[in-house]
Amino acid sequence: MLDFVYSPRWFCGNEIIIDIVSILVLFLIGFFSFTYYRIKRKREHLSLASAFLMLSLALIFKTLTNFTVLYHLLETKRIGLITITYEIVKSSDIPFYAGFLPYRLLTLLGLYMLYSIYHKQSRTTAFVIIYLLFVSTYFSYSAYYAFHLTALTLLALITVEYFKNYRKGRGRAAMVLTLSFALITISQVFFIFLNLHTIFYVIAALMQLAGYSGLLITFIMVLIYGKKKR
Amino acid sequence: MAKKRDKLGIISDMLASIQERNGVIKPTHLMYRSNLSHAQLKSYLEELVGKRLVERIQKNEYEYISITNKGCAFLQKLKEINEFERTFGI
Repeated sequence: MLDFVYSPRWFCGNEIIIDIVSILVLFLIGFFSFTYYRIKRKREHLSLASAFLMLSLALIFKTLTNFTVLYHLLETKRIGLITITYEIVKSSDIPFYAGFLPYRLLTLLGLYMLYSIYHKQSRTTAFVIIYLLFVSTYFSYSAYYAFHLTALTLLALITVEYFKNYRKGRGRAAMVLTLSFALITISQVFFIFLNLHTIFYVIAALMQLAGYSGLLITFIMVLIYGKKKR
Repeated sequence: MAKKRDKLGIISDMLASIQERNGVIKPTHLMYRSNLSHAQLKSYLEELVGKRLVERIQKNEYEYISITNKGCAFLQKLKEINEFERTFGI
């Protein structure tokens, strides 16, 4: 049977708040990047917007699934059949296909799209990698860490790119961006080990919150610095 | 070698040049400050006036170019985009 409720019970609900914050941050960056694309017609802006909006959509799927599961849990608590109903929800395959599968696939595709902005690739290479991302998502059904390992790899590569950019003297906003992505990358390591103890899930979720908050700070810095500089 | 300016880069330089001179500048000064030929200046000015980012005004029998509120807002947006591109390395 599939087991996809990783969060400790006392943390249920908090992760939804974290995901909502993350969705808003990703959507904000994606939306602004799209408005910049409409002005400059630069392909990179469109790719960046698509990547961030895809990541945002992925988290919407995750949040809706988590919300559905949490709703069931809360409802069962209210009527006093907590153990029985909890196990039914926990072992169902439906939330995986309806929520977690699109979440994982869209996340990996979004991250790959973000990575490919910095490393232009031929159509053949892109096709092979996208195929492998599908395979990785499929295998994450039975081995959840397959998804987190793939996400970790892509995020690490993206973080390296942002670090290289920061080293070119691109300022504090670039530094905060690098740190934010580094935090989100490290959170994947904790997600990989969440089967050892549920506390790893909490640590990973909090690191993600810190990472996405960093992204928000980066964006605010861009707006402020944009006003100051010539 | 310096990177060739694109169209928006030129427009950004023109609007910034006007703004630096308290929002009003003579066409010849704008031409020098924006590193444009006379033909280029004429062409770009027509476009900027058409889009109401700048306007031509007469003062003491001389023609001046003035930046509009819309022009200031557009320049602000371009600066924001440049900062965004710098930060994300695109």
